[in-house]
Amino acid sequence: MITQTVDWFDERLGLAKFTRKSLNKIFPDHWSFMLGEIAMYSFIVLLFTGVFLTLFFVPSSKEIIYHGAYKPLDGHKVSEAYASTLNLSFSVRAGLVMRQMHHWAANIFIAAIVVHVCRIFFTGAFRKPREINWVIGTLLLILAIVNGFLGYSLPDDLISGTGIRIAFSILLSVPVVGSYLAFFLFGGNFPGNSIIPRFYALHILIIPALIAGLLGAHLAIMWHQKHTQFKGKGKSERNVVGVAMWPAYALQAGGFFFLTAAVIAILGGLVQINPIWLYGQYIPYKVSYAVQPDWYMGWLDGALRLMPSWEITGFGHMIPTIFFPAILLPGLTFTALALWPFIEKKITKDTAEHNLLDNPRDVPWRTSVGVGVLAFYVVLFFASSTDVLANSFQLSLNFVLWGFRILLFVVPPIAAYVAYRVASETGSTAGTGRRKRANVIFRTAEGAYYTEQTAPRSPQHPEESAEELPEEVEYHSLHGNGDQELVTSAAQPGPSGPAGSPSHSGVDLGPRPSGGSGIFRIPRVRRSSTPEAGGDQIGGIGDRG
Amino acid sequence: MTKVEGGGDFTPPEVEIVEGKRGVELFVALAFVVSVLASIALAVTFVLGGQPQIEGALLFVILLGIGVGMVAWGKYLVPQGPYSQEREVLKSEIAERQAFLASLDRGQRQIGRRPFLMKMMGAAIGVFGLVNLFPFLRSLGPQPKKALYTTPWKKGALLVDANGSAVTVNTLEVGGMVTVFPSYDVGGAISQTVLLRAANTAITTRPGRETWGPQGYLAYSKLCTHAGCPVGLYQELTQQLLCPCHQSLFDVLTGANPVFGPAPRPLPQLPLYVDSSGYIRAQAGYDQPVGPGFWERGA
Amino acid sequence: MSTKRRRAAKLPKLKRRVFLPAAVGLAAAGISTLALLPQAGAAQSNNPSNLGNFGYTGSYIYGGTQNKAGGAISYKKLNPASIPYGKTLFLENCSTCHGALAQGTPRAPNLQGLGAATIDFWVSTGRMPLADPTVQAVQKPPRFSRSQTLAIDAYVSSLAPGGPAIPNVNLSLANLAQGESLFSTNCAACHTITGAGDALASGVFAPTLMVATATQAAEAVRTGPGNMPRFGPNTLTDQQVADIVKYVKYLQAPNDRGGIAIGHVGPVSEGFVGIIIGLGTIMLAGLWIGGRAK
Repeated sequence: MITQTVDWFDERLGLAKFTRKSLNKIFPDHWSFMLGEIAMYSFIVLLFTGVFLTLFFVPSSKEIIYHGAYKPLDGHKVSEAYASTLNLSFSVRAGLVMRQMHHWAANIFIAAIVVHVCRIFFTGAFRKPREINWVIGTLLLILAIVNGFLGYSLPDDLISGTGIRIAFSILLSVPVVGSYLAFFLFGGNFPGNSIIPRFYALHILIIPALIAGLLGAHLAIMWHQKHTQFKGKGKSERNVVGVAMWPAYALQAGGFFFLTAAVIAILGGLVQINPIWLYGQYIPYKVSYAVQPDWYMGWLDGALRLMPSWEITGFGHMIPTIFFPAILLPGLTFTALALWPFIEKKITKDTAEHNLLDNPRDVPWRTSVGVGVLAFYVVLFFASSTDVLANSFQLSLNFVLWGFRILLFVVPPIAAYVAYRVASETGSTAGTGRRKRANVIFRTAEGAYYTEQTAPRSPQHPEESAEELPEEVEYHSLHGNGDQELVTSAAQPGPSGPAGSPSHSGVDLGPRPSGGSGIFRIPRVRRSSTPEAGGDQIGGIGDRG
Repeated sequence: MTKVEGGGDFTPPEVEIVEGKRGVELFVALAFVVSVLASIALAVTFVLGGQPQIEGALLFVILLGIGVGMVAWGKYLVPQGPYSQEREVLKSEIAERQAFLASLDRGQRQIGRRPFLMKMMGAAIGVFGLVNLFPFLRSLGPQPKKALYTTPWKKGALLVDANGSAVTVNTLEVGGMVTVFPSYDVGGAISQTVLLRAANTAITTRPGRETWGPQGYLAYSKLCTHAGCPVGLYQELTQQLLCPCHQSLFDVLTGANPVFGPAPRPLPQLPLYVDSSGYIRAQAGYDQPVGPGFWERGA
Repeated sequence: MSTKRRRAAKLPKLKRRVFLPAAVGLAAAGISTLALLPQAGAAQSNNPSNLGNFGYTGSYIYGGTQNKAGGAISYKKLNPASIPYGKTLFLENCSTCHGALAQGTPRAPNLQGLGAATIDFWVSTGRMPLADPTVQAVQKPPRFSRSQTLAIDAYVSSLAPGGPAIPNVNLSLANLAQGESLFSTNCAACHTITGAGDALASGVFAPTLMVATATQAAEAVRTGPGNMPRFGPNTLTDQQVADIVKYVKYLQAPNDRGGIAIGHVGPVSEGFVGIIIGLGTIMLAGLWIGGRAK
C-alpha cells in the first residue's frame, strides 16, 4: 500500500529523491537549537487560537450598549470590538482560555525569537553562508513585534487605547509626511472610526501572511543550508552530526510542539492576562496610571520615558521629541541588527564559510559588543516600568527616572567590559584544549633509536578532516542485498583505509555494536589515530567492523 | 516483498531496533492514556458549560500527555545515532555558473535589442502602479490641513463635564479637578481639557494671562505635549499635573510649564471667564495647537 | 575500554548542557515566587485591620450640611460625651505638632474647620500620628481603636465648624456600573484602573485601594487627603460617591475569571511571567529533548 502510494506520487512529482534526503536529514542535538522551534510552535498556537478568536470578535468601533454577562459594565456605551471581546471571554466555551492562550503565546513567541537571535548572534551562526536567513529573521522579529502591538490593541480597552493614542502621536512625529501618515492610517484625526477594522485586517491577514511567507523562506533556507553545529567530537565544517529526521527527530519535534502548546495552555487557563473587563472601554479622555505596553514594546516605552525634552524647531518646521526614541531608535536598531553580518565581515575580513559555531568565549570582542548592546536595551526595558519600580521600592519617581538615564549610559560599557574580560579569561588561548603530541621512540633494524613526534592534528579540531567521508550513494536499483544499496555511504568502501590504518581520520564503517546490521544508518565519523596511538581511541564509538 | 512499478522489487531491509525498555514503553502508553482521559474530561467540562481554569488545566494535561509521549518515544525507543551527514557544497560548479550567466545573457540581449518596447512596458506598468496609489492617498483618510492646529473650543464656549452638566463657579472646591469639554463637543478627544481650582482668588500663570484664571480656576489642554496621553493626574499639594504614560510633570501655577520628564512644551492654557449666571466659559479657543508636536508646526 | 573513555570524555559537556538551563530554571522559580508575592499580600490585606464604623451606635450631634435621610450616604453624628476623652487623646498624641487647639504649628497644618471626615480618614487609616512629617504618610495599622478615633474626631470638629462629616455608605443603594464609569473617569488616572496604586512624581504616590474601607474611600473622595484632589458635593453627588465606593469595594475582590491575577499591574508582571515562567519552562523541555539519550 505504502509502496504504491510512493510510486504514484513519485511518478508525478519525483518526490522520492528529495523526500528521502529529508527523511535522512540530520539535526544536531543541542538544547539551544530548540529556541527557534519554540518560536515556530508558538506561532502555530497563535494561528490556531487566533482563528478561533476571529469567529467571535467583531472588528468595529460602532457604539452599542453593553448588556452582557459582566455586570459591572452593564448599560455602558462600548464599541462592538470591546463588547465582542467581553462576550467571547464570558459566554463562549473556552473563549477566555483561547484569548489568554493567544496573548501568552504572543508574549512567548517574541521572547523565543529574541532568545533565538541572541543564540545566533553569540555563536556566530549568522556568518557566511547564513546572512540571508539572518536578515529574514530580523524582518520576522519586526513583524512579530508589530503584530503583537496590533493584536493587543484590538479589544479597544482603556490600556490599549492609550497605546493607540501614543502610536498616533509617534506617526505624527515623522518628519515631512508624519501628519499624512497618521491621518491616512487612522482615517482622520484621532481617534476616528477606522483604526479597529484596519488594525484587524493588518493583524489577522497581512502581517500573518508576511510572517508565514518569511518563516517558510527561513525554514527552507535553513533546510537547504543545513544546521550549524557546535564544535566537538566528530564534527567538522563539512558534516552535520546529530539525530536523523525520521523517525527520532520527527517524534521529538512533534512532541515539543505539544509541550510548547501545553505550557501556553496552562498559562492561558490559570494565569490571567489582559483582563479587559477590569480596564473598561477606551474613552479618549479617560486614562489609567501604570499603563505599559506588552513586554516587547517595553524598550520603546522606556526610551520614550528617558528621552529628554528636546524638540528641534527651525525654518517653520519641527522635529518632535518622540521622533528620536520612537522612530529613530527602532530604525537604527533594526537596521544595525539586520546588517550585522555585513558589519562583522567588514571588521574581521572573514570571507570563509562557517558551519561550526563559535563558543561565545572564544570571540570576546563579539560577545562583548553583544552583551553591551543587549544591556542597553535591557536598561530601556526596565525603564518602561519606572512607575511600578518606584512604587514597589518606595522610591521617588524622579530619582528612579534619573537613575535610569544614568544607568543607560553606564551599564552597557561596564557589561561589555565585564563580558570581554570573562570571555577572554575563560576562552581558550592558543593551544588550549589541543591534545599533546606524543614522542614515539623507534628502534631501527640496526638497533639504533630515534624519536619522532606523532603527526599533528589539525589546528582547531582533529576531526575536521571529514572530507574523507564518502559521498551519499546514488543507487540505481533496489535489487539484491539492501545493505549495499540503501545505506547511504556506510556500506560503500570509503576511500579511507580500514580503521586503524595510518590515515588521520577515518569513518566508522562498521555496524553499531547494538544494532545488528544497521541498514538505514548513516555513517558516523570516527576519529582514528596514528598507529602509534592506536589504543587511544577517544573518539571511537563502534567497533572496527 | 512488494513490486515497485517499473523497476523491480522493494525488499524492506533489516532495521536497527531499540530492544527492551519495557518501562519506557509503559510510560509512553500511560502518557497517551492520560491525554485521552483528559480529553474526555474536557468534553464533559464543555457540556457542563465550561470553566476557564478547568479548561486550561485539562488542555495542559492533554497536550502534555501527547507531547511527553512523543518525545519519550522519539528519544528512548528509536535509535539516536549520532549520525553524520556530509554537507554538500552550496556553491555551483564554475561551469554551471557560466552556463547560467550565458542563459541570462542570452535572454537579456534578445530583449535588449528593442529598448523602446522595454521603456514602453516599464511606462505601462509604472503608470498603472501610480494610478493605484490614488485610492490610498485620497480615500484612506482626509488630508490633515488645519485639523491639527485647531480645536472645537471657541469664544464663549460653555464648559461642561463628561456628563454634559455645565460647570459653574461653585462646581469645584479648592483642590478639586474635573475634565471639561465645550458644551457642543462632550467627550471630544481633541477638546478634552482639565479644569482645576487651585485657589479662591484669580490666578495669573504668566504675564499676559492676567484674566485667564478667574477665582482660581485654571484650564489646560488634557493632551500631553509629549505623546498625547490625557494628563489626568493632579497632585494637589504640589500643584502639578502628571502624565501617566511617560511621567511628564507640569507646574500648574506657572502655566503648566514642564518641569520634569520628556514633555517639551507647556500644556496650552484655555482662557476662562465667569459669565453673569456664574457659568464658566472660554474667553477664546486655544492660542496654539494642542497635543504632541508635528512637522508642519513651527514652534 | 573505549566505551569507558567515551563516557569520561562526555561528562564535562553534559555539565555545560545542564548548567545554563538549570540556572534559567532556578531564576524562573525565584522570580515566579516574587511575581506571585504581591498577589498573596493583596489577598492578606483584603481583611482590613479595622472594621469601619458600622458597629457604632452612639448618639450623634454633628450632622453635615448635605445629610439627606434615605440617601446612599448618611453622615454620622458624633457623641458629644466623647469630646473630653478625645481631647485627652489629642493632647497626648497630636498636640505636639498640631497644637493644643489643633490650630497648627510650623510643623503641621491647622486642623480647625477641616471636618470630622478629614480627621477620621487620617487617624483611622493609621497615617496619623506620623513619625516623620517630611515624607508622605503611609497606611499602617491605626494606633487608636474605633471609639478612640471617633472621640478625637468629635474633639477636633467641636473646635470649629465646617468640613464634611463622617460618611456612612449604604452600598446596597449604590450602582456598581455607574461606579465603574465614575471611577475610570476620576480615580483611575492615579490609582490605576484596577486600584493597585502607583508612584506619582516627586516622591509621592497614589496608594493602593485594596485595604480601604467604604467609609475611608468616601472620606478620601470628599476630603482629598494629601495630594489627592478634593471632590466636593458639586462635583460628585453623594450618590456618585457611593457608586465609586461600591466599585472600589468590588475591585478589592474583582472577577478574576482568567485565573491568578499577578498583582493586577498589567503588562509588567505579565511580561515577567511570560518570559521567565512560560519561555523558561519550555526551554527546560527543550533541554530534555536536546540532551542526548543515554
